[in-house]
Amino acid sequence: MTAIANGIDEQLLVEAAQLDPGRFAELYENNFNRVYAYVAHRVRDRDEAEDVTAEVFHQALANLGKFEWRGVPFVGWLLGIAANVLASRWRHPSEREVPAEAMERAETGVEDGMERRTLLLQLLETLPADQRYVLARRFADQRSVREIAQELGRSEGAVKQLQFRAVQTLRARVRGTHDHPVVH
Amino acid sequence: MTTLSSIDRLDHAIDFLVAHPQAALPPVEDDISELVEIAGELRYLPRTEFKLRLRAELQEPAPASQAHGAAQPSRLARREDAEPILPTLLGLGGGAYPLQRSSVALSFVLHAAAVVLIASSGFWLTQHRQQLTHQVTTIFSASDYALPVAPGKAGGGGGGGDGDKLAASKGTPPRFAREQLTPPAVVLRNPEPKLPVEATVIGPPQLTFSPQSPTGDPLSALLTPSNGAGSGGGIGSGSGGGVGSGHDAGVGPGWGGGIGGGVYRVGGGVSEPRIIYDPDPEFSEEARKAKYQGVVVLSVIVGPDGRPHDIRVARSLGMGLDEKAIEAVNKWRFVPSMKDGRPVPVEVNIEVHFRLY
Repeated sequence: MTAIANGIDEQLLVEAAQLDPGRFAELYENNFNRVYAYVAHRVRDRDEAEDVTAEVFHQALANLGKFEWRGVPFVGWLLGIAANVLASRWRHPSEREVPAEAMERAETGVEDGMERRTLLLQLLETLPADQRYVLARRFADQRSVREIAQELGRSEGAVKQLQFRAVQTLRARVRGTHDHPVVH
Repeated sequence: MTTLSSIDRLDHAIDFLVAHPQAALPPVEDDISELVEIAGELRYLPRTEFKLRLRAELQEPAPASQAHGAAQPSRLARREDAEPILPTLLGLGGGAYPLQRSSVALSFVLHAAAVVLIASSGFWLTQHRQQLTHQVTTIFSASDYALPVAPGKAGGGGGGGDGDKLAASKGTPPRFAREQLTPPAVVLRNPEPKLPVEATVIGPPQLTFSPQSPTGDPLSALLTPSNGAGSGGGIGSGSGGGVGSGHDAGVGPGWGGGIGGGVYRVGGGVSEPRIIYDPDPEFSEEARKAKYQGVVVLSVIVGPDGRPHDIRVARSLGMGLDEKAIEAVNKWRFVPSMKDGRPVPVEVNIEVHFRLY
């Protein structure tokens, strides 16, 4: 019932965005983590992942009028765009080709480990502010423990502890989610 | 103690993962292996501001190209220090940008041609030093320079009219004054003005006409009252509020005030015209071969429109340099001389120096 309700909600959101591109922001918020997780896993480079993700959403916004609701989640369409963008960006398809079955999996939203990576991005937002800050600075902004300690006015040991607890919390919540999966 | 050790080991593993984003997970003890896996997934975490900036970018009005479905790739998150210059041309970052090899080749050829052209022009200049010319031009008042009187030259004056179908009628111009508040008229368009002011023409006040009435153009033969076909008020076929066929507030043909009389000279309230565009004259082939140099003096009337008129050679140099000087000065443009806040025609002399180095 929840899945059906979510589908109807998403369909309404898409139709609203097709009429008013200003409503695209909600679709963006709902699907950003999943698209980014898919792209980042493919390219394994933050700069390129951000570029591709941006291009995917730009293309989606530009072509939103062509999207037809056929019961497949909207993210499937986004991941299809992502797969095409990746294929067109790689000069040597043989080296980093997106196989047909991978394209199909992308379009249906079923990709090995993608759920877990998406979940991690979502769970990050549930961490306490100080733990979230440390992980964001450490991984996304590539700051050292010393630099973060200076920014926070705390000792390096305290920052390492925050970092350790944050990763531990993420592990616990990933396990908890797997034990009690959320129905989307 | 064990906890601290795990904390440090996880931190070392994270150091490795951040420094080697493409590498496999480092081997670690079992107690932190799951944590390192989580950290491995976090390696590609988007930058803090990326999501917000992309959202803001998507909410901006789409450019025309995007409206037709041609989405533009975003570079909002790319760090400048991580980007090599000309990535595809130098073979770096291959595939990250669309590239047409023909465009690269064409660009290379054009740039090479430009470099050759620049280098060869420098070489040509060093080989033709004797042809390098330098012209020094000065402008000064004709009143300081003794010039022969132009034979039979009709001087300035003024003119006017108000677009009547008839030519101006015969009569006498009003009295001369240093300034004009109201132009003269034969046919009064406003017979009862609220503030009557005597009509005058500009010229020396001591000049007078023999009494004759009514007001009109002394050179006309028509008796039917008319202000004439000119423009700008006044009487006659000219413009500018005077009487006659000229272009100012004087009387008679030509420029300036007074009767039939010449243009203004610099000084006495008449400012010097200022050059705003003065292309150099060319050296004539004949003079260049003969290594002939000198100064040509031109007498020029700079009109109220800032253009040179009636250019005459006041001191000739010959060998085709006079013509070259006239040709160049004819292209010059000036800020016109001003008198009482109005642009006026003024006669000046211009020296054009031809020198070989």
